[in-house]
Amino acid sequence: MRTAPAGRPPRNARAHGVLVYFRTMLIFIGIWFVGAMLISNRLLLPSPTSVFWALLDAARDGDLAFHAFTSLLRLVVAMLAAAVIGLPLGLVIGLSRSWEDAFELPIELLRPIAGIAWIPLALFMFGIGNTLPVFIMFYTALFPLIIGTAAGVRGTDRRLLAAARTMGVTGMPLVLHVVLPSALPSIIVSLRLAVAAAWTAVVAAELVGAPSGLGYAIEYFRSMLATDHVIAFIVVIGILGSLTDKLLRLAETWLTPWSRDRVLP
Amino acid sequence: MKWLAIRLMSPVGLLVLWEVLVRLSGSPRAPSPSTVFVAAGELIASGELLAGLSTSIVRVLAGFVVACLVAVPLGLVMGAVRSVERNLDPVVESFRPVAAIAILPLVILWLGTGNTAAIAIVAYAAFFPVLVNTISGVKNVEPSLLRAAHTMGLSPLTRLHAVLLPAAMPSILVGMRIALGVAWTAIIAAELAVGAKSGSSGGIGQMMFVFYAYSIQLSGIVVCMAAVGVVAFCLDRLVSLCLTFITPWSNAR
Repeated sequence: MRTAPAGRPPRNARAHGVLVYFRTMLIFIGIWFVGAMLISNRLLLPSPTSVFWALLDAARDGDLAFHAFTSLLRLVVAMLAAAVIGLPLGLVIGLSRSWEDAFELPIELLRPIAGIAWIPLALFMFGIGNTLPVFIMFYTALFPLIIGTAAGVRGTDRRLLAAARTMGVTGMPLVLHVVLPSALPSIIVSLRLAVAAAWTAVVAAELVGAPSGLGYAIEYFRSMLATDHVIAFIVVIGILGSLTDKLLRLAETWLTPWSRDRVLP
Repeated sequence: MKWLAIRLMSPVGLLVLWEVLVRLSGSPRAPSPSTVFVAAGELIASGELLAGLSTSIVRVLAGFVVACLVAVPLGLVMGAVRSVERNLDPVVESFRPVAAIAILPLVILWLGTGNTAAIAIVAYAAFFPVLVNTISGVKNVEPSLLRAAHTMGLSPLTRLHAVLLPAAMPSILVGMRIALGVAWTAIIAAELAVGAKSGSSGGIGQMMFVFYAYSIQLSGIVVCMAAVGVVAFCLDRLVSLCLTFITPWSNAR
Protein backbone atom coordinates (compact mmCIF):
# COMPACT_ATOMS: atom_id res chain seq x y z
CA MET A 1 0.00 0.00 0.00
CA ARG A 2 1.60 3.25 -1.09
CA THR A 3 -0.73 5.92 0.14
CA ALA A 4 -1.53 6.09 3.82
CA PRO A 5 -5.11 6.95 4.74
CA ALA A 6 -5.64 10.51 5.85
CA GLY A 7 -5.72 11.43 9.51
CA ARG A 8 -4.35 9.45 12.38
CA PRO A 9 -2.60 6.21 11.42
CA PRO A 10 -4.22 3.08 12.84
CA ARG A 11 -2.91 1.83 16.12
CA ASN A 12 -1.04 -1.22 14.88
CA ALA A 13 0.70 0.84 12.20
CA ARG A 14 1.99 3.14 14.94
CA ALA A 15 3.09 0.18 17.01
CA HIS A 16 4.87 -1.15 13.96
CA GLY A 17 6.62 2.20 13.52
CA VAL A 18 7.85 2.09 17.09
CA LEU A 19 9.03 -1.48 16.56
CA VAL A 20 10.98 -0.49 13.43
CA TYR A 21 12.48 2.45 15.30
CA PHE A 22 13.78 0.31 18.15
CA ARG A 23 14.95 -2.42 15.81
CA THR A 24 17.02 0.06 13.78
CA MET A 25 18.48 1.72 16.85
CA LEU A 26 19.33 -1.65 18.36
CA ILE A 27 21.14 -2.68 15.18
CA PHE A 28 22.97 0.65 15.14
CA ILE A 29 24.05 0.29 18.76
CA GLY A 30 25.04 -3.32 18.08
CA ILE A 31 27.31 -2.23 15.22
CA TRP A 32 28.77 0.48 17.43
CA PHE A 33 29.37 -2.10 20.18
CA VAL A 34 31.16 -4.49 17.83
CA GLY A 35 33.14 -1.60 16.33
CA ALA A 36 34.24 -0.49 19.78
CA MET A 37 35.31 -4.05 20.63
CA LEU A 38 37.30 -4.34 17.41
CA ILE A 39 39.05 -0.99 17.85
CA SER A 40 39.45 -1.66 21.57
CA ASN A 41 40.79 1.82 22.21
CA ARG A 42 38.50 3.57 24.63
CA LEU A 43 40.01 6.92 23.71
CA LEU A 44 39.01 6.62 20.08
CA LEU A 45 35.71 4.82 20.30
CA PRO A 46 34.21 4.05 23.70
CA SER A 47 31.53 1.39 23.73
CA PRO A 48 27.85 2.31 24.03
CA THR A 49 27.76 1.05 27.58
CA SER A 50 30.58 3.32 28.77
CA VAL A 51 28.86 6.27 27.05
CA PHE A 52 25.69 5.31 28.89
CA TRP A 53 27.56 5.26 32.21
CA ALA A 54 29.17 8.59 31.38
CA LEU A 55 25.73 10.01 30.69
CA LEU A 56 24.43 8.65 33.96
CA ASP A 57 27.49 9.96 35.75
CA ALA A 58 27.03 13.46 34.31
CA ALA A 59 23.34 13.35 35.17
CA ARG A 60 24.06 12.31 38.73
CA ASP A 61 26.65 14.96 39.61
CA GLY A 62 24.53 17.73 38.07
CA ASP A 63 26.97 18.59 35.27
CA LEU A 64 24.48 17.62 32.66
CA ALA A 65 21.60 19.65 34.03
CA PHE A 66 23.82 22.67 34.63
CA HIS A 67 25.36 22.83 31.15
CA ALA A 68 22.15 21.92 29.36
CA PHE A 69 20.21 24.51 31.34
CA THR A 70 22.85 27.17 30.64
CA SER A 71 22.78 26.53 26.89
CA LEU A 72 18.98 26.39 26.75
CA LEU A 73 18.66 29.59 28.76
CA ARG A 74 21.03 31.34 26.36
CA LEU A 75 18.98 30.01 23.46
CA VAL A 76 15.76 31.37 24.94
CA VAL A 77 17.24 34.78 25.71
CA ALA A 78 18.78 35.07 22.24
CA MET A 79 15.58 33.94 20.52
CA LEU A 80 13.50 36.43 22.51
CA ALA A 81 15.85 39.25 21.57
CA ALA A 82 15.85 38.16 17.93
CA ALA A 83 12.05 37.93 17.91
CA VAL A 84 11.60 41.34 19.52
CA ILE A 85 13.74 42.95 16.82
CA GLY A 86 13.22 40.60 13.88
CA LEU A 87 9.43 40.25 13.87
CA PRO A 88 8.52 43.97 13.83
CA LEU A 89 11.31 44.68 11.35
CA GLY A 90 10.14 41.88 9.07
CA LEU A 91 6.59 43.17 9.41
CA VAL A 92 7.39 46.72 8.29
CA ILE A 93 9.71 45.48 5.56
CA GLY A 94 6.94 43.25 4.27
CA LEU A 95 4.32 45.98 4.52
CA SER A 96 6.07 48.97 3.07
CA ARG A 97 8.09 49.34 -0.05
CA SER A 98 10.22 52.21 1.24
CA TRP A 99 11.14 50.35 4.44
CA GLU A 100 12.13 47.42 2.26
CA ASP A 101 14.31 49.66 0.11
CA ALA A 102 15.94 51.14 3.17
CA PHE A 103 16.73 47.85 4.85
CA GLU A 104 17.29 45.46 2.01
CA LEU A 105 20.88 46.37 1.28
CA PRO A 106 22.25 46.21 4.84
CA ILE A 107 20.40 42.94 5.42
CA GLU A 108 21.67 41.43 2.19
CA LEU A 109 25.20 42.60 3.03
CA LEU A 110 25.20 41.25 6.59
CA ARG A 111 23.23 38.06 6.06
CA PRO A 112 25.92 36.06 4.22
CA ILE A 113 28.36 36.69 7.08
CA ALA A 114 27.79 33.63 9.25
CA GLY A 115 27.14 34.31 12.93
CA ILE A 116 30.05 32.04 13.67
CA ALA A 117 32.39 34.36 11.76
CA TRP A 118 31.56 37.03 14.35
CA ILE A 119 33.09 34.98 17.15
CA PRO A 120 36.61 36.52 17.08
CA LEU A 121 35.30 40.08 16.95
CA ALA A 122 32.68 39.27 19.59
CA LEU A 123 35.42 37.85 21.81
CA PHE A 124 37.07 41.24 21.64
CA MET A 125 33.83 43.15 22.22
CA PHE A 126 32.27 41.03 24.96
CA GLY A 127 35.05 38.82 26.28
CA ILE A 128 34.40 35.26 27.40
CA GLY A 129 31.07 34.88 29.15
CA ASN A 130 27.34 34.81 28.66
CA THR A 131 27.06 37.72 26.25
CA LEU A 132 29.16 36.16 23.51
CA PRO A 133 27.06 33.03 22.86
CA VAL A 134 23.84 34.99 23.24
CA PHE A 135 25.02 37.58 20.72
CA ILE A 136 26.14 34.94 18.22
CA MET A 137 22.80 33.10 18.50
CA PHE A 138 20.87 36.35 18.27
CA TYR A 139 22.70 37.30 15.09
CA THR A 140 22.23 33.84 13.59
CA ALA A 141 18.52 33.79 14.37
CA LEU A 142 17.78 37.37 13.31
CA PHE A 143 18.02 37.03 9.53
CA PRO A 144 15.81 33.96 9.03
CA LEU A 145 13.20 35.67 11.23
CA ILE A 146 13.27 38.98 9.34
CA ILE A 147 13.19 37.33 5.94
CA GLY A 148 10.56 34.74 6.85
CA THR A 149 8.29 37.34 8.42
CA ALA A 150 8.66 39.74 5.50
CA ALA A 151 7.96 36.94 3.01
CA GLY A 152 4.91 35.83 4.98
CA VAL A 153 3.56 39.37 5.16
CA ARG A 154 4.19 39.94 1.46
CA GLY A 155 2.43 36.69 0.66
CA THR A 156 -0.86 37.77 2.19
CA ASP A 157 -3.68 37.06 -0.24
CA ARG A 158 -4.57 40.30 -2.06
CA ARG A 159 -8.24 39.33 -2.05
CA LEU A 160 -8.24 39.06 1.74
CA LEU A 161 -6.71 42.51 2.00
CA ALA A 162 -9.16 43.93 -0.49
CA ALA A 163 -12.09 42.30 1.29
CA ALA A 164 -10.97 43.67 4.64
CA ARG A 165 -10.50 47.15 3.18
CA THR A 166 -13.94 47.00 1.59
CA MET A 167 -15.37 46.34 5.01
CA GLY A 168 -13.55 49.38 6.32
CA VAL A 169 -10.77 47.55 8.15
CA THR A 170 -7.55 49.51 7.77
CA GLY A 171 -4.40 50.35 9.65
CA MET A 172 -3.51 48.43 12.81
CA PRO A 173 -6.61 46.20 12.92
CA LEU A 174 -5.90 45.13 9.34
CA VAL A 175 -2.35 44.15 10.28
CA LEU A 176 -3.42 42.39 13.48
CA HIS A 177 -6.43 40.48 12.16
CA VAL A 178 -5.58 39.84 8.51
CA VAL A 179 -1.89 40.19 7.76
CA LEU A 180 -0.45 38.57 10.88
CA PRO A 181 -2.64 35.43 10.90
CA SER A 182 -1.94 34.94 7.23
CA ALA A 183 1.81 35.35 7.76
CA LEU A 184 1.87 33.14 10.86
CA PRO A 185 2.75 29.82 9.15
CA SER A 186 5.70 31.43 7.41
CA ILE A 187 6.78 33.10 10.66
CA ILE A 188 6.70 29.83 12.56
CA VAL A 189 8.67 28.00 9.88
CA SER A 190 11.29 30.74 9.98
CA LEU A 191 11.29 30.48 13.76
CA ARG A 192 12.05 26.78 13.50
CA LEU A 193 14.86 27.48 11.03
CA ALA A 194 16.20 30.21 13.30
CA VAL A 195 16.19 27.99 16.39
CA ALA A 196 17.92 25.17 14.52
CA ALA A 197 20.60 27.54 13.21
CA ALA A 198 21.05 29.18 16.61
CA TRP A 199 21.44 25.79 18.29
CA THR A 200 24.27 25.00 15.87
CA ALA A 201 25.87 28.35 16.56
CA VAL A 202 25.67 28.04 20.34
CA VAL A 203 27.85 24.94 20.30
CA ALA A 204 30.47 26.72 18.19
CA ALA A 205 30.34 29.83 20.34
CA GLU A 206 30.63 27.89 23.59
CA LEU A 207 33.38 25.72 22.17
CA VAL A 208 35.54 28.83 21.74
CA GLY A 209 34.30 31.49 24.09
CA ALA A 210 32.24 30.53 27.11
CA PRO A 211 33.05 29.10 30.52
CA SER A 212 29.92 26.94 30.59
CA GLY A 213 27.33 25.30 28.40
CA LEU A 214 27.15 22.13 26.36
CA GLY A 215 29.76 23.24 23.80
CA TYR A 216 32.15 24.06 26.62
CA ALA A 217 31.50 20.69 28.24
CA ILE A 218 32.35 18.85 25.03
CA GLU A 219 35.56 20.80 24.63
CA TYR A 220 36.46 20.33 28.30
CA PHE A 221 36.01 16.56 28.20
CA ARG A 222 37.92 16.38 24.93
CA SER A 223 40.88 18.09 26.55
CA MET A 224 40.56 15.57 29.41
CA LEU A 225 40.52 12.80 26.78
CA ALA A 226 37.25 11.51 28.24
CA THR A 227 35.76 10.47 24.93
CA ASP A 228 32.82 8.69 26.54
CA HIS A 229 31.75 11.96 28.15
CA VAL A 230 32.28 13.80 24.85
CA ILE A 231 29.90 11.42 23.09
CA ALA A 232 27.44 11.58 25.98
CA PHE A 233 27.23 15.37 25.65
CA ILE A 234 26.96 15.14 21.85
CA VAL A 235 23.96 12.86 22.41
CA VAL A 236 22.47 15.43 24.75
CA ILE A 237 22.95 18.20 22.18
CA GLY A 238 21.21 16.07 19.57
CA ILE A 239 18.31 15.18 21.86
CA LEU A 240 17.76 18.77 23.00
CA GLY A 241 18.00 20.02 19.41
CA SER A 242 15.36 17.60 18.22
CA LEU A 243 13.18 18.24 21.29
CA THR A 244 13.13 21.99 20.68
CA ASP A 245 12.13 21.37 17.08
CA LYS A 246 9.39 18.95 18.18
CA LEU A 247 8.13 21.61 20.59
CA LEU A 248 8.02 24.23 17.85
CA ARG A 249 6.30 21.76 15.54
CA LEU A 250 3.67 21.21 18.21
CA ALA A 251 3.26 24.97 18.48
CA GLU A 252 2.94 25.05 14.71
CA THR A 253 0.08 22.57 14.58
CA TRP A 254 -1.54 24.26 17.56
CA LEU A 255 -1.26 27.85 16.30
CA THR A 256 -1.70 27.21 12.61
CA PRO A 257 -3.61 23.96 12.23
CA TRP A 258 -4.31 24.79 8.59
CA SER A 259 -0.67 24.71 7.52
CA ARG A 260 0.88 21.43 6.50
CA ASP A 261 3.50 19.91 8.73
CA ARG A 262 6.79 20.49 6.98
CA VAL A 263 10.15 18.86 7.49
CA LEU A 264 12.93 21.38 7.60
CA PRO A 265 15.70 21.05 5.03
CA MET B 1 17.20 58.46 -8.41
CA LYS B 2 15.21 58.80 -5.23
CA TRP B 3 14.89 55.03 -5.07
CA LEU B 4 18.65 54.61 -5.28
CA ALA B 5 19.16 57.27 -2.62
CA ILE B 6 16.87 55.46 -0.20
CA ARG B 7 18.59 52.16 -0.81
CA LEU B 8 22.08 53.57 -0.32
CA MET B 9 21.11 55.74 2.63
CA SER B 10 21.18 53.07 5.33
CA PRO B 11 24.43 51.28 4.43
CA VAL B 12 26.29 54.55 3.98
CA GLY B 13 24.70 55.88 7.16
CA LEU B 14 25.80 52.79 9.07
CA LEU B 15 29.37 53.11 7.79
CA VAL B 16 29.53 56.78 8.79
CA LEU B 17 28.03 55.99 12.21
CA TRP B 18 30.58 53.22 12.70
CA GLU B 19 33.49 55.52 11.76
CA VAL B 20 32.22 58.31 14.03
CA LEU B 21 31.67 55.96 16.97
CA VAL B 22 35.19 54.56 16.66
CA ARG B 23 36.70 58.06 16.40
CA LEU B 24 34.71 59.17 19.45
CA SER B 25 35.69 56.14 21.51
CA GLY B 26 39.34 56.95 20.86
CA SER B 27 40.31 53.30 21.15
CA PRO B 28 43.40 52.71 19.00
CA ARG B 29 42.58 49.04 18.38
CA ALA B 30 38.92 49.31 17.43
CA PRO B 31 38.46 48.76 13.70
CA SER B 32 36.85 51.57 11.74
CA PRO B 33 35.82 51.55 8.07
CA SER B 34 38.97 53.44 7.08
CA THR B 35 41.37 51.09 8.88
CA VAL B 36 39.44 48.12 7.53
CA PHE B 37 39.89 49.37 3.97
CA VAL B 38 43.62 49.81 4.54
CA ALA B 39 43.88 46.34 6.08
CA ALA B 40 41.91 44.87 3.20
CA GLY B 41 44.31 46.44 0.72
CA GLU B 42 47.30 45.05 2.58
CA LEU B 43 45.87 41.56 2.97
CA ILE B 44 44.86 41.34 -0.67
CA ALA B 45 48.19 42.73 -1.89
CA SER B 46 50.20 40.27 0.22
CA GLY B 47 48.08 37.38 -1.05
CA GLU B 48 47.35 36.19 2.49
CA LEU B 49 43.63 36.66 2.17
CA LEU B 50 43.40 34.79 -1.11
CA ALA B 51 45.56 31.96 0.24
CA GLY B 52 43.38 31.56 3.32
CA LEU B 53 40.18 31.76 1.31
CA SER B 54 41.31 29.26 -1.30
CA THR B 55 42.34 26.75 1.39
CA SER B 56 38.87 26.99 2.93
CA ILE B 57 37.04 26.90 -0.39
CA VAL B 58 38.93 23.82 -1.58
CA ARG B 59 38.07 22.07 1.69
CA VAL B 60 34.42 23.00 1.39
CA LEU B 61 34.20 21.79 -2.19
CA ALA B 62 35.98 18.53 -1.39
CA GLY B 63 33.72 17.81 1.58
CA PHE B 64 30.68 18.85 -0.40
CA VAL B 65 31.51 16.43 -3.22
CA VAL B 66 32.02 13.59 -0.72
CA ALA B 67 28.67 14.39 0.90
CA CYS B 68 26.86 14.45 -2.44
CA LEU B 69 28.44 11.19 -3.59
CA VAL B 70 27.05 9.45 -0.51
CA ALA B 71 23.82 11.36 0.08
CA VAL B 72 22.37 11.43 -3.44
CA PRO B 73 22.46 7.64 -4.11
CA LEU B 74 21.34 6.91 -0.55
CA GLY B 75 18.55 9.46 -0.85
CA LEU B 76 17.42 7.98 -4.17
CA VAL B 77 17.17 4.52 -2.63
CA MET B 78 15.51 5.78 0.54
CA GLY B 79 13.03 7.81 -1.44
CA ALA B 80 12.18 5.04 -3.87
CA VAL B 81 12.02 2.05 -1.54
CA ARG B 82 9.66 2.52 1.38
CA SER B 83 11.11 -0.20 3.60
CA VAL B 84 14.66 1.14 3.28
CA GLU B 85 13.46 4.56 4.32
CA ARG B 86 11.51 3.21 7.28
CA ASN B 87 14.47 1.26 8.53
CA LEU B 88 17.14 3.92 8.07
CA ASP B 89 15.07 6.91 9.10
CA PRO B 90 15.63 6.50 12.89
CA VAL B 91 19.42 6.68 12.47
CA VAL B 92 19.22 9.66 10.11
CA GLU B 93 16.83 11.49 12.40
CA SER B 94 19.08 10.78 15.39
CA PHE B 95 22.12 12.33 13.76
CA ARG B 96 20.44 15.20 11.93
CA PRO B 97 19.96 17.47 14.96
CA VAL B 98 23.62 16.99 15.98
CA ALA B 99 25.49 19.94 14.54
CA ALA B 100 28.74 19.37 12.68
CA ILE B 101 30.50 21.59 15.20
CA ALA B 102 29.39 19.33 18.02
CA ILE B 103 31.22 16.36 16.55
CA LEU B 104 34.32 18.47 15.91
CA PRO B 105 36.08 17.31 19.12
CA LEU B 106 35.50 13.68 18.10
CA VAL B 107 36.77 14.34 14.60
CA ILE B 108 39.88 15.99 16.02
CA LEU B 109 40.45 12.88 18.15
CA TRP B 110 40.03 10.57 15.17
CA LEU B 111 41.56 12.52 12.31
CA GLY B 112 43.70 15.23 13.85
CA THR B 113 43.51 18.86 12.79
CA GLY B 114 44.51 18.64 9.15
CA ASN B 115 42.66 18.65 5.85
CA THR B 116 41.05 15.24 6.39
CA ALA B 117 39.34 16.43 9.55
CA ALA B 118 38.16 19.61 7.84
CA ILE B 119 36.75 17.68 4.90
CA ALA B 120 35.02 15.23 7.26
CA ILE B 121 33.31 18.07 9.13
CA VAL B 122 32.16 19.68 5.89
CA ALA B 123 30.93 16.37 4.51
CA TYR B 124 28.94 15.69 7.68
CA ALA B 125 27.40 19.17 7.61
CA ALA B 126 26.48 18.98 3.92
CA PHE B 127 25.22 15.39 4.06
CA PHE B 128 21.85 15.92 5.74
CA PRO B 129 20.38 18.75 3.63
CA VAL B 130 21.26 16.84 0.44
CA LEU B 131 19.88 13.55 1.79
CA VAL B 132 16.62 14.99 3.10
CA ASN B 133 15.93 16.95 -0.07
CA THR B 134 16.80 14.01 -2.31
CA ILE B 135 14.37 11.80 -0.40
CA SER B 136 11.58 14.33 -0.57
CA GLY B 137 12.34 15.00 -4.25
CA VAL B 138 12.03 11.32 -5.12
CA LYS B 139 8.90 10.88 -3.01
CA ASN B 140 7.21 13.82 -4.70
CA VAL B 141 7.79 12.56 -8.23
CA GLU B 142 4.47 12.51 -10.08
CA PRO B 143 3.25 8.90 -9.63
CA SER B 144 1.72 8.87 -13.10
CA LEU B 145 5.18 9.45 -14.58
CA LEU B 146 6.49 6.37 -12.83
CA ARG B 147 3.43 4.34 -13.80
CA ALA B 148 3.85 5.42 -17.42
CA ALA B 149 7.49 4.36 -17.33
CA HIS B 150 6.41 1.05 -15.83
CA THR B 151 3.77 0.52 -18.49
CA MET B 152 6.29 1.14 -21.22
CA GLY B 153 8.42 -1.60 -19.76
CA LEU B 154 11.48 0.46 -18.86
CA SER B 155 14.08 -1.38 -16.81
CA PRO B 156 14.60 -0.14 -13.25
CA LEU B 157 17.93 1.44 -14.18
CA THR B 158 16.46 3.33 -17.12
CA ARG B 159 13.54 4.40 -14.94
CA LEU B 160 16.04 5.75 -12.47
CA HIS B 161 18.03 7.94 -14.81
CA ALA B 162 15.33 8.78 -17.34
CA VAL B 163 12.41 9.47 -15.00
CA LEU B 164 13.27 9.55 -11.33
CA LEU B 165 16.48 11.56 -11.43
CA PRO B 166 15.30 14.38 -13.71
CA ALA B 167 12.05 14.68 -11.79
CA ALA B 168 13.81 14.80 -8.44
CA MET B 169 16.64 17.04 -9.71
CA PRO B 170 15.17 20.42 -8.70
CA SER B 171 14.72 19.26 -5.13
CA ILE B 172 18.20 17.69 -5.05
CA LEU B 173 19.74 20.94 -6.26
CA VAL B 174 17.85 22.92 -3.63
CA GLY B 175 19.31 20.55 -1.05
CA MET B 176 22.78 21.12 -2.50
CA ARG B 177 22.32 24.87 -2.29
CA ILE B 178 21.38 24.68 1.38
CA ALA B 179 24.18 22.20 1.99
CA LEU B 180 26.83 24.45 0.48
CA GLY B 181 25.76 27.32 2.73
CA VAL B 182 25.81 25.11 5.82
CA ALA B 183 29.15 23.64 4.79
CA TRP B 184 30.73 27.07 4.44
CA THR B 185 29.57 28.03 7.94
CA ALA B 186 30.83 24.72 9.30
CA ILE B 187 34.31 25.12 7.87
CA ILE B 188 34.65 28.61 9.37
CA ALA B 189 33.58 27.28 12.75
CA ALA B 190 35.87 24.27 12.49
CA GLU B 191 38.88 26.37 11.51
CA LEU B 192 38.16 28.85 14.28
CA ALA B 193 37.92 26.12 16.89
CA VAL B 194 40.99 24.33 15.57
CA GLY B 195 42.85 27.63 15.42
CA ALA B 196 42.12 27.94 19.10
CA LYS B 197 43.83 24.59 19.62
CA SER B 198 47.11 25.47 17.89
CA GLY B 199 48.08 23.60 14.76
CA SER B 200 48.66 25.36 11.45
CA SER B 201 46.11 24.09 9.00
CA GLY B 202 45.43 27.50 7.49
CA GLY B 203 42.12 28.59 6.15
CA ILE B 204 40.20 31.80 6.60
CA GLY B 205 38.74 30.77 9.96
CA GLN B 206 42.13 30.20 11.47
CA MET B 207 43.40 33.43 9.96
CA MET B 208 40.69 35.22 11.92
CA PHE B 209 41.67 33.45 15.09
CA VAL B 210 45.31 34.37 14.62
CA PHE B 211 44.32 38.01 14.14
CA TYR B 212 42.35 37.79 17.37
CA ALA B 213 44.69 35.84 19.56
CA TYR B 214 48.21 36.66 18.39
CA SER B 215 48.51 39.80 16.34
CA ILE B 216 45.39 41.46 17.81
CA GLN B 217 44.63 43.10 14.48
CA LEU B 218 40.90 43.67 14.59
CA SER B 219 40.70 45.34 11.20
CA GLY B 220 42.06 42.10 9.78
CA ILE B 221 39.23 40.19 11.47
CA VAL B 222 36.66 42.49 9.90
CA VAL B 223 38.28 42.02 6.48
CA CYS B 224 38.05 38.25 6.96
CA MET B 225 34.41 38.52 8.01
CA ALA B 226 33.61 40.51 4.90
CA ALA B 227 35.48 37.96 2.80
CA VAL B 228 33.47 35.15 4.44
CA GLY B 229 30.29 37.00 3.50
CA VAL B 230 31.38 37.61 -0.08
CA VAL B 231 32.32 33.95 -0.59
CA ALA B 232 29.03 32.78 0.95
CA PHE B 233 27.17 35.08 -1.39
CA CYS B 234 29.12 33.95 -4.46
CA LEU B 235 28.74 30.25 -3.63
CA ASP B 236 25.00 30.72 -3.25
CA ARG B 237 24.71 32.59 -6.54
CA LEU B 238 26.81 29.94 -8.28
CA VAL B 239 24.53 27.13 -7.14
CA SER B 240 21.38 29.04 -8.01
CA LEU B 241 22.84 29.71 -11.47
CA CYS B 242 23.46 25.97 -11.81
CA LEU B 243 19.88 25.45 -10.67
CA THR B 244 18.41 27.51 -13.48
CA PHE B 245 20.93 26.09 -15.95
CA ILE B 246 20.50 22.39 -15.17
CA THR B 247 16.80 22.41 -14.38
CA PRO B 248 15.30 25.30 -16.33
CA TRP B 249 11.84 23.72 -15.96
CA SER B 250 11.73 24.14 -12.20
CA ASN B 251 10.80 27.33 -10.47
CA ALA B 252 12.25 26.32 -7.13
CA ARG B 253 13.87 29.22 -5.38
